[in-house]
Amino acid sequence: MVIWGTTLVLIAFGLGVTLYLIERSKQPGVPTAPPPLPIAANPSDIPPPPQEVNLFLLDTTAPTLVPVKTELRLHAELTKRLSQIITALIQETPPNFRNTIPRGTVLNQAYIDSQQTAYLDFSNHLIDGHIGGTTAELLTITAILKTVFDAFPEEIKQVQILIDGEEVRTLAGHLNLSQPLHLPQ
Amino acid sequence: MTTNNVVYTKKPQEARTNRHGLRVTVRVLFLTIFAWIITPNSPAQQNSVRFIDVNGETIAETPIQSQGEQIYLSVDAVRQVFDPVMTDQYNHPRKRLILKTKDQQIRLQMGHPTVGIDPSGLTHTLPTPPIIIAQQPMLPVAFFTQILPDFYNLEALYNPSLQRVQLRPKDTWAPAVIGNSPNWAIIIDPGHGGENDRGCESSTGLLEKDIVLALAKRLQRMSEEQGIKVYLTRQTDTKKTHFERIQVAKRNQGQLFLSLHCNASFSPHEKGIKIYLNNPKGQLRFPSNAQAALTGQRLKPLAQANFLKQSQDFAHALQTELNFLTEAPVELTELPLIALSEAYMPAVVLELGYLSNVEDLEKLSESEYIAGIAQAIVRAFQRHISAINPPVQSTELEQEQ
Repeated sequence: MVIWGTTLVLIAFGLGVTLYLIERSKQPGVPTAPPPLPIAANPSDIPPPPQEVNLFLLDTTAPTLVPVKTELRLHAELTKRLSQIITALIQETPPNFRNTIPRGTVLNQAYIDSQQTAYLDFSNHLIDGHIGGTTAELLTITAILKTVFDAFPEEIKQVQILIDGEEVRTLAGHLNLSQPLHLPQ
Repeated sequence: MTTNNVVYTKKPQEARTNRHGLRVTVRVLFLTIFAWIITPNSPAQQNSVRFIDVNGETIAETPIQSQGEQIYLSVDAVRQVFDPVMTDQYNHPRKRLILKTKDQQIRLQMGHPTVGIDPSGLTHTLPTPPIIIAQQPMLPVAFFTQILPDFYNLEALYNPSLQRVQLRPKDTWAPAVIGNSPNWAIIIDPGHGGENDRGCESSTGLLEKDIVLALAKRLQRMSEEQGIKVYLTRQTDTKKTHFERIQVAKRNQGQLFLSLHCNASFSPHEKGIKIYLNNPKGQLRFPSNAQAALTGQRLKPLAQANFLKQSQDFAHALQTELNFLTEAPVELTELPLIALSEAYMPAVVLELGYLSNVEDLEKLSESEYIAGIAQAIVRAFQRHISAINPPVQSTELEQEQ
């Protein structure tokens, strides 16, 4: 009798422990804290608040280039801000959109001269990884230009594309990129 | 390119989102496969034929009856398209149809391919005989493309895939250039070439450089049969620089430059033939400040722009001819183009279709479709040359002699 009683108690205890463990596994884990921000050495190093920026990506169902909003902590300096936005354009591909810049392309450098011409120096992946075709080439260049002119309507008037620091005549053999470009108003 | 406002706000990535994303991806995949299964592979067969004029405007759209692969039109279609005052007489027991038009009579016997013309006594043979459908005499489409146009000094082209007949005055296609413009030279530039510049590539391995070279050679042969001298910028699968291509045009004193390409897009939905012109003030623009135009390098694109009007004229001729082959009108876009930047002559880039689109890819793989494009291009050459060098009338020739 005692043995039976002990056995039943043990079974009940075992069931209780099992149910407790199952219930515990269903609970969400302790949220991981976001990585700590670097400690500011002085007030000017405090990261700026996020700002909305339009990146022009291809809506494959349309198919047209559409502005897609994203949030970036933009740098105060104009050239660095330009680099941040173009880098985001290269990396951003939300669902239902296609990035018109070949994967693996890197923005080496960006700068703006006194004539308000922005120079965007890309890695050679922009050429080597391009699918070709006048339409695809036009989409790539137009996405860059629209993104730049949308973010800097006053500061930048035209854009010159460079590849590894050099001027190029074309990306895929169709468009003439030997001069800075702008879009009709 | 139009711009729509779409808002997408970036969210922090979480493991749960990834699982949700996977489910969405699987759902989208299933829906895509389902849509692919239920979508017909070829456009639905229309139950009418559209007759268009030289500018692509519709003259009439008439219902048809199909028997196997043949299509037939009613007698009313003759009145709608050619002659509203045409009269017809059908003898049921003898199955004989008489059409009275322009002081002539056309005699047809149902089930027989022979067509008799009175009072001239001429006879023609149709590839398919007229037949009776639902007690009514029905005429094969060949009757409308091979017999009737002659009565009205017209010529007809039939596109069976689009069920479209284009009618135009006979003179439009007359080989007016033979002997009239012996110095005409057209430069055809098959884009890309060589191992390192293959151009676009389809998922099936079809290469742009091969498609355009084959078409260029076909165009050369067909144009020379019409008395138009054609030079190609490359004859084989070799790499040619932009400079070398332009040198071919200059050396042979080309008067028209046609660069052939195949298109590609990041969207698989984009399709169709497109025509591009070199214009530094087009959809993308070069700066118009004076400083930029001072250096020789920057004057070159402006110099090619001197031929913009003539290039537009040829592009419109090409557009009119190619519209006959396409469901949607052929688009014409002006851009600063490197391929045409130093061609000091009227110049056009023709994109034959998208290798990134399944329908275009299928068409570009068909020799019949390529032959249709080649015919349209040669007709555009003839139309362009005739506009610049109008054919000399025989009376003028006699007077000169």
